[in-house]
Amino acid sequence: MATVIAEPYRAYTPRPFTRAERDSVTILFGGLHWRAERILQAVLEQSGYRARVLPVATKEDLLAGREVADIGQCCPTSFTTGNLVNFLRGESKRIGAEEVSKRYVYLTAGSCGACRFGQYHQSYELALRNSGLDAFRMFLMAQDNLDQKAVMGDGLDFNLPITLGCLWAIFCTDLVQDLEYQVRPYEAVPGSTDAVVKESVEHLYEVFHRRPARGPWTSLAWHLATPYFTKALREVHRRFAAIEVDRLRPKPIVKITGEFYLQTVEGAPNYNIHRWLEAEGAEVYPAAVSVWMDYLLRLGLQRFEDYSGIERSARIKLGAGRVVQKLYRGLVARLRHALGDLPHEMPQQLELRRLAAPYFHSRLDGGEGDMLVGKALWAHLGKKAHMICELSPYSCMPNTMSIGAMAGVIGKYPDLLYAPLEIKGDAEVHALSRCQMILTEAKKRAQREFEETLERTRLTVDEVRAYVDAHPVMKRATYRVPHSGAVAGTGANMVMHVARAMGRAT
Amino acid sequence: MPSWFGRTRSAEPAPSRSKLRVGIPRVLNVWSTHQFWVGLFGALGVDPRNLVFSADTSEEQGRQFGKGRGTVDCCYPVKCATGHYGELIFGQREKLDVLFSPMIYTLPSFLSGHVARTLTCPRVMAAPENIKAGFLKEREVFADQGIHYATPFVSLDEPKLVPKQLFEGLREAVPGLTMEETARAVDAAYRALRDFNDRLRKKSREVLEWCAREERACLLVLARPYHMDPGIGHEIEVDLQAYGYPILWAQYFPIDDDLMQWAFGPDLAAGAIRSPFDIRDVWPSSYSSNTNEILWGAKVAARVPWIACVVRMSSYECGMDQPTYTPVQQIVERSGTLFFSFQDLDSTKPAGSVKIRVETITHYLERYAADIVARKKATMPPGCPLLSAGASAAPSETSPRSDCAGKAGARTTPERAR
Repeated sequence: MATVIAEPYRAYTPRPFTRAERDSVTILFGGLHWRAERILQAVLEQSGYRARVLPVATKEDLLAGREVADIGQCCPTSFTTGNLVNFLRGESKRIGAEEVSKRYVYLTAGSCGACRFGQYHQSYELALRNSGLDAFRMFLMAQDNLDQKAVMGDGLDFNLPITLGCLWAIFCTDLVQDLEYQVRPYEAVPGSTDAVVKESVEHLYEVFHRRPARGPWTSLAWHLATPYFTKALREVHRRFAAIEVDRLRPKPIVKITGEFYLQTVEGAPNYNIHRWLEAEGAEVYPAAVSVWMDYLLRLGLQRFEDYSGIERSARIKLGAGRVVQKLYRGLVARLRHALGDLPHEMPQQLELRRLAAPYFHSRLDGGEGDMLVGKALWAHLGKKAHMICELSPYSCMPNTMSIGAMAGVIGKYPDLLYAPLEIKGDAEVHALSRCQMILTEAKKRAQREFEETLERTRLTVDEVRAYVDAHPVMKRATYRVPHSGAVAGTGANMVMHVARAMGRAT
Repeated sequence: MPSWFGRTRSAEPAPSRSKLRVGIPRVLNVWSTHQFWVGLFGALGVDPRNLVFSADTSEEQGRQFGKGRGTVDCCYPVKCATGHYGELIFGQREKLDVLFSPMIYTLPSFLSGHVARTLTCPRVMAAPENIKAGFLKEREVFADQGIHYATPFVSLDEPKLVPKQLFEGLREAVPGLTMEETARAVDAAYRALRDFNDRLRKKSREVLEWCAREERACLLVLARPYHMDPGIGHEIEVDLQAYGYPILWAQYFPIDDDLMQWAFGPDLAAGAIRSPFDIRDVWPSSYSSNTNEILWGAKVAARVPWIACVVRMSSYECGMDQPTYTPVQQIVERSGTLFFSFQDLDSTKPAGSVKIRVETITHYLERYAADIVARKKATMPPGCPLLSAGASAAPSETSPRSDCAGKAGARTTPERAR
């Protein structure tokens, strides 16, 4: 029982990271999928920083995270704090805690509400203190304020060229990831997709490493106009073209939604659900980071919508913001086009908002807010997927609210296959068996849809296969099978496409 | 009778304003904003007798009215709202016309302008959407019962925006509502809330002045506003008060300039903070309103000598409280103030353990309170406004009775037991 007066408690304030330290200090970061992390590393290195990606979080990290921070934190934070602490502990053993504090800084995303995510500096701090790493420097980069020299020191200068590099890195890797997940389930030679993806990401790493250095405004103009990245993606497209696929395997498409970290990472934090679903016979429709950023843009613009008619400048800002959002979507579309328009198109944010409106208010933020509800309905009604797999971290506050609202959606659309999985990190069997139950239904639905499509087009699988064999281009991973809008599955859409090509009624 | 000749109850014409019966679930941040809503509906012409708040939370309420309508497992303060909705829909002798459950996005906190933002918890703000789903998943309960469900999204810390938000959220529920009228009603509502808060802060100051004058210790409760609900906070502070210790809540702590300058003067002089309501020295990510107030309350408790003990309450699975456990405890304990925490509060009152904890707290207070007060006084600058000539001399009817207040060192008996 403390009744002795001590020095007042003060919040953690890291020692600034100075420009002079750039050559000797390595920036640690992580928390995305490996493709994005690799290219972001290239962006940082090209900008004169030493950068290192933290290893993918493991169950040991989860246990360490629970051990060193306050009880009750959400599952992603247990993983990320444990991941950082275990890495630093390992390095401390190698070079000593003092040297670790000198040689590394940790950079991660912060936020300004609504959920506690933005307050997790305290958990990191506690974890570092409890690990004897009080002097270690950790910086939270606010998503709404990139210029944070005052807090971080002049060593971390997140200027416009770096920001643009990071944005383009996310765009490109989102598109590659999307294409990869469309191809791998149908590859004729197992492992061929992984090999191409690995090569492609390394190619992009080199491309981003060679990105020309420019001043802020010339850099902006260059990024908007240059064919540099589209050329790189065309090369990726060329490499994918070498993969042979058999799309006549009916597989359910499973759309991944949920909390940002869990839907993005690929590894123990989400029970490696992407790969597990594929192994169970599904085609995964991954969650793109660029869609999340589009949502953040929409949230920002909604404030101007609200203030329209109240503040004079709100309408002008809203108009300007809409132009920026269009530009953003246009840039992604341009890069997508370089990949033969094969990756999924970004959903329209206003469409998602409209779909979610009866169930979840668009101004409620924190997590994915109404987008989570909107995406589920968009995928279901637009025949984009057979099933929604929502990854909800244990103890995630905003996510539980969206899931609760989904009860109303399911009441209205009982045929929507929805698998909300609470991810605790150490209850894999429970979560996967729950997912398996819905997936079984999705598989049946995909099979039924495939057979009905054959029936409707009066074709047999052998006839379709013979047609594809006669047109080898259709076996390429880069052959574009149009989405008919009537069926969701890749196999069913292939049948429809062949039927049209053969002049059959669809 | 063929149903197509009948009218559904929801199609009945809305009653006039004075007869309009409006039900408000007594949940979550309604605990700190109820006077705003009372003021608003009063200004809109709704008869105060027709403004119906649901009862305090109880397990019985949940069993009787909320069973089977839960949609998600989360903290009890949010979960229990289902029972409140059910009580207002099914448990009224006279039918309600409107069930009003605002989605409060920001709060009009006294820390506003000194902190980053004043957002509410993401679960709390979204609770009306979540609870609603439980009443819609099988059938349209509100329409079946002829009740209009009004759930405006409202940013109470942005007064310019509020009339627009409430007009949009209420125009279908309140007959003949206009934007101008809503704006006037919103002004009246803010006044009502301000007056109420001022009254409570004045009373808290009287208690503090009495403690200062009489050299008595008091306790400060750090909790979310809805822990005032006997079904959520389980009246732990009432059990403590029964031992004669005055209880203050951080939300209604006096914020008079003289007291603030005295309490935070050294920190201001040292440049650690920019104003007495600035909490950047302990909590840089100050965007969550109730969290901010808890952190600020911990700072106040560390500085005001007569607060000898802090009682922290937190509900099971409260995500917003979780990152604050260590800082709050550290802020309080480093000042030498006693700190006791009741975490993981849920639906059932753990009466036995609460009793033991309360006895432990009072034991420590008896033993250490005088010393704590003396040592804290020694660290503070002279000229405490609570002891100045201007401080009220005689305790008002709301001040603690001198014969039962917990004087440090003297064994006190719970009032209830007398």
